[in-house]
Parts: sequence; structure tokens; C-alpha cells
Amino acid sequence: MKKLVSILSLCVLVAVGLFAGGAQEQKVENGVPVIRVVCKDVPPDEPDNIAYIKKVQEGFSAYVGQEVKLEYVKMPDGAYAEKLNLMILSGDIPDLIYFQGGDEAIAQQNLLVDMTPYIAGSEVMQKALMDFNKQRMANYPYLLWLAPPRARTATIREDWFKEAGGKVPVTIDDYYNLMKAIKQNHPQAAAVTDTGNTDRMDFTFDQAFGITATWLKEGSSYVYKGVSSAQKDKLTFYQKLYAEGLLDREYITTAWDGMEDKFYTGKVGMVFGTAGIVLDIYNNKLMESQGVGVVALPPAKGVSQGYAVSSAKETRGWAISALSENKDLVFKLLEYLATDEGQFLDRYGLEGKHYIKEGDKVILTPESANWWPRFHEIMSYQGPTPLLGEAGQKSWDYIMKYAVGDPDFPIPEELVPTWDALSNLQKEYTYKIISGEYSINKFDEFVQKWYDLGGDKVTEYANKILK
Amino acid sequence: MKLKKEQLKRQLYRDRYLYLLFLPVLTFFIIWHYIPIWGARIAFQDVKYVGKNVWVGFKHFKVLFSSPVFFRVFMNTIAISAMKIFLCFPLPIILAFLLNEVRSHNYRKIVQSIIYLPHFLSWVVIAGIFISLLQAPDGVINQIIGFFGVKPISFMTSTKHIRWVFVWSEVWRSIGWDSILYIAAINNIALELYDAATVDGASRWQQAFKITLPSILPTIITVFILNLGFFMNAGFDQVFNMMNDAVINHVDIIDTYVYRIGLGKGNYSLGTAAGLFKGVIGLFLILSTDKLSRKVTGEGVW
Repeated sequence: MKKLVSILSLCVLVAVGLFAGGAQEQKVENGVPVIRVVCKDVPPDEPDNIAYIKKVQEGFSAYVGQEVKLEYVKMPDGAYAEKLNLMILSGDIPDLIYFQGGDEAIAQQNLLVDMTPYIAGSEVMQKALMDFNKQRMANYPYLLWLAPPRARTATIREDWFKEAGGKVPVTIDDYYNLMKAIKQNHPQAAAVTDTGNTDRMDFTFDQAFGITATWLKEGSSYVYKGVSSAQKDKLTFYQKLYAEGLLDREYITTAWDGMEDKFYTGKVGMVFGTAGIVLDIYNNKLMESQGVGVVALPPAKGVSQGYAVSSAKETRGWAISALSENKDLVFKLLEYLATDEGQFLDRYGLEGKHYIKEGDKVILTPESANWWPRFHEIMSYQGPTPLLGEAGQKSWDYIMKYAVGDPDFPIPEELVPTWDALSNLQKEYTYKIISGEYSINKFDEFVQKWYDLGGDKVTEYANKILK
Repeated sequence: MKLKKEQLKRQLYRDRYLYLLFLPVLTFFIIWHYIPIWGARIAFQDVKYVGKNVWVGFKHFKVLFSSPVFFRVFMNTIAISAMKIFLCFPLPIILAFLLNEVRSHNYRKIVQSIIYLPHFLSWVVIAGIFISLLQAPDGVINQIIGFFGVKPISFMTSTKHIRWVFVWSEVWRSIGWDSILYIAAINNIALELYDAATVDGASRWQQAFKITLPSILPTIITVFILNLGFFMNAGFDQVFNMMNDAVINHVDIIDTYVYRIGLGKGNYSLGTAAGLFKGVIGLFLILSTDKLSRKVTGEGVW
């Protein structure tokens, strides 16, 4: 028995030794500081990435006037956020970390740098940050994300749009009439679809119904948008769309790839895509499959008009490790990539492969469709050649014109299980009302249940924060 | 004592190649099943990314049990697991009985190969197949029932039907694979018993219930007890891929809840607390069923 225990203990010790993470160690090679970077979908052994990292390294070294080496961490396949968290938990914390969730727990332990003073002292960053970025940084100064807000723009196939009159819809009624026309012209198709919920559609319709923020001021206090009277009006509208077959009956079980497939195969006329390059992808794929392009549409106008962009925090972005011995240098790297030179490098890809130069002209190659910015996508950057097509650019124009800050806030840790329960309750009622299983009168019952389930606690917290 | 040791040594030497073959399995279980038990202590700690974890006792269990939905999530897990055991446990036994009665060797092999196949499909693929088949009103199933005058049913969004969708998709996936053990057990029954029964004039039914069933009863009991150990695993992959907003409150199980609240937010302690809770219930179920089985049938797992 004793022998068995000894053997098992030995196995445990050996395995612990094998799996234990190494201690944090600042790497300097031949006096050259090394910045370790971890990022999603940038394996450092792929030829394009090797060439890109080399270019950034050279450009950055010239920018800071000293030689710096960039070392990318190769991440295992699978869910990035989970793998990253486990890597950090094992004690391996790179200098510069790209997060796509899971950062709060690490920030709460003071392991991420508060970037406020760095940003305050950087002219480049001041120029690059949009208002909503600044609000997010004020709420949560650990993640930097210089890219357009991920608002979804209504997108319609061009031929069906022209068939329906070709007039850009402005009001909710305009949108309704456009959808009716699509259905009349193509009875076998749905006018519009979404992906498992109405989050994408909401970008176009929320403000028109008066849902101007996550927390709406009603009288002297704040009310959650999901239990507001404006939400009830919006659900009444969605219910009508569903009942008349304008909203795809299968939207609840449709994933993003299913949505795109329906769009490219003529089963639906309008979808909602992330503004920018995504709309260009829709355009190109629809052109390939149906020989027509897409038209981007603005948010509906009603009580208000716009895309509410949460100010709670960035949902993804770059963070600097508080344990890094080169914090200033790491921030400088983020800054360099926000300069015009850095943006050119990051946005246009590799010369000879993704673009070619003819004199002063930069000409994009077909391969450029496979390149995406590894760091920032600054909206105000003016490159030598337009990076976006007509639809993509139009959707960005709408974002620039209509994006408005939503003074939201992160839900505190102790309320996360309650918030999860409230979200699930809302999801179930929302679908049942839209699908007609519940009448709209059930909305009041939902509101009561929402408060009883813990909504009162969250609302109380919101009113404390927002006052 | 010395004699026993000598005997053991001799046995080990005699079967050395078998033990060598067993070594990778043992290593696998030590690394992935025994060492993680030590890691379960983080259910009682606040995890620190740098430095020592802080002992917090039952804090994470309190958070787990005080969640407004944990009881519902727990009950969903039990309901879905119970429904699965109710169907997924006996059906492979029946299938093994039926296959045993097939006289054509080739036909049996073809059937077996076809019914094993779904076991190798991932839940992502299976979910896609079932969602497509069960769509309302255009899915194949709705077209078939529509032929008989039944109105289309939105199986995937109906709280009345969704759990049965889980159960039947699980049956489809596992019935063939799970029957292997019973087929093997049936093949081990001495043929003389059937010959003697035939001479005595026993019918096929009588042979099945008087010879086959009692002969494979120890296998059935062992598999049942082991299945109960996994009772709280209601099938994360399946539920995750098949659930949607319309039914989330009826199919959200402990695993999906932990994934959302625990792993999704990097809250490993909460996730481990839920995992430990599940493990303790599984252990309790195994031990109590084993004891009950020994009392009633004289057979247990070990």
C-alpha cells in the first residue's frame, strides 16, 4: 500500500513539474529589448505573419530610435479567450495581450496597465480615438481598441432594392413598406432575417422606437431598455413583421453562416452586417452567386435616429501587462501602429502580395481580400487607395454620422449570475412575443417577472452608477 | 504473506506484455483523471493569476446556490438526464437482442456498421442535421406529418418538444455504439444452453427471456450503475449546439451555465465548484446504486 502511495505521489510530482508554468521573466537578447505579443489568429510561423512582424519590428525600431524585437506567442487551436486565460493562469503573461473576453478577472487583480496617463500624453492616440472609445477608456482603462464600433448596418441586395422603388428608407414605415414590397415581389423569400435573436436588427430600429441607450431615463430614474415601453412598441412591430412573413420564421435557429447563405441564395432580401469590410464581403459574394451587389441602408428615423454604441468597456482589444518591464515601449508600439506609417503597414498588408506600387500609386491585388489589420483600424486614416468598396464605405459613413454613445457600464461580478438569469428571461419572452405564441400583453407580465427575479437590484445599482 | 507476494510477482511477470499494453491507459487516467482531483481545491479558493490563491471556504458554492436560476438549471439537468437514461439505456439492449436474432451474418454486419456511424459525428454536425430536419414548416419531419394532416410543429423552439429532440437525437447517435457491449455479452453465452432449450421445446421468446437476458444481466447492471455516475452530465456539446433563445430556460443545464458564467468570464473557481458539485452527486449515485444492486440482485460494479 505504502509503495502504491509512493508511486502515485511520484507520478503527481512529475506531472505537476511537467505542467507547471515558468516564472515571469523579462527577455532581453543581446541588449535588445524583446516585446512578447499574444494575438488571436496570428500564428508566428506563417510566412505572411513572419514578413509582417519583421516589417513592424523594423518600422517600430526606427520610430523609437532603438532596436526592439517582437516575439509572437504561438497559441494552440481552439477558443482563444479560454486558451489565453489558461496561459496567463499558468504564469506566462506576455507584455502585450490581445483580449477577446475574459480580461475583467485579470484586470481586477491589477495585472493590466491603466492606460489613461499614456493616452493623455499621446497626440497620436488623441487623434485616433473616437468619442465612444474615450468613454469606454474612462470606464475601463485597460483595453485599447481602435476600430469602428461593431454596429450592424441594414444591407439589401441591389436588384430587389431597385424593384421595390430604390428609395432609401428613412422612417420605420418606410422600412416596413420596403419589406412588404420585397415580399410581394418574391413571395418565396423572407424580407429580412437575423441570427438567433434580434440583436442585429435592433441596431437599425432601436433608436427609432426611442431605445436610445441601455438605461433609459424615465422620469427621475433609469429603466433598463429591455423592460421599457419603447421595447414593447418595438416588439409589437417585430411581431407584425413575423406574422406577415416579412421576418424570417426561422431566424431563431439561424446562425451567421446560415444568414449569409440565405442572403446569397435569394431566400432573404435584407440582412444586417458589421459596417465596413463585412459589407464588401457580402457584396462580393452576392456578386459571385447572383451577379448583383448590395446597398447599405441608414438606421430608421423615429423618436430618434442612430446606432447606440455602448460606453461600458471595449469588448475586445489590447492590454499591457502590469508585470512588463517595458510598459512604455509596449505602449509606443500601440502608438506606432496608430500613426499613418503604422496604419499603412497594418491595413495594406505586404507589398508584392496584397498590394503593388506603381510610382506613387498603390494598387490592391486580389490577395488583399485575405488581409486584415492585426492591430488597429482607425476610421479617420486616409490611405493612398480606398480600402473599402462602395457598400463598405457607405456603411462607415453611416456609422460616422449616426453612432452615438450609450452611457452603459459593466455589470459588477456579484450581479453577473442575476444578470444572466434576467437576460435568459428576456430572450424567452422576446421570441415568444415576436413569434405570436404570446400576445404583446404578456410583456407586462415579463416586466414584473424581470423585476422579481432580481431586476430591481440591477436597476438600483444602475441608478447609483448613472446619477 | 510472502507466498502471496511471490504469486503476485509471478503473475505480473507472466502477463508483463499485457501490463505494458495497459501502461498508456494508466498514464492517461493518472494525468487526466487523478491529478485534476488535486486541482479541484480551487473550488474553495479565489484564484490569483500571480501569487498564491486565497482560501475562501464555501464562498463559490454559496454564489452558485444563491443564483436565481441555479435551481432551475439543476432541475433541467436532472430532467434531461433522466429522460435520456429512460430511453438511451434500454434501447441498445433491445437493439442487441434484435440483432442477435438476425440470421444473415452479412445483413447483420451491414446494419451494425450503419448504426455505429452516427457515434462518430460531432454534435455540431448532428445539430445542423436535426435543426434542418425539424424546421417548421419546411423541414422533412413537418412535411411528413403534414401529409397526415398534422399542423407544422416548431420542434426546436417548442418548450414541449425540445427535450425530446435532445433525447431522440442522443438515441440516434448512441444506440448502435452502446449496443456493442451487449452484443459482445450475448456472443459469450454458451451455445449449448440454446441447444438444450431448443431440444426442450423452448420458443425464441422463451430463449431470449430465460437464457439471454439472465446471462447478460451482470453487464446490464454494471453499465446502468456506471451510467448513473454520469447522470449529471446531461450533454454539454449537444445542448450548447441545439439550444436557442426560445427554449433556453428549459434546457440550460449545469454545464452550459458554468460555461457561460464560469469559463466565459474566466471565473474558474465557480466553474470548479459546479464541477465538484456534479462529481459528488455522481459519486453518491454510483455508490448508492451499487449498494442497492448488491442487495437486490447480488451483482455490483466491483
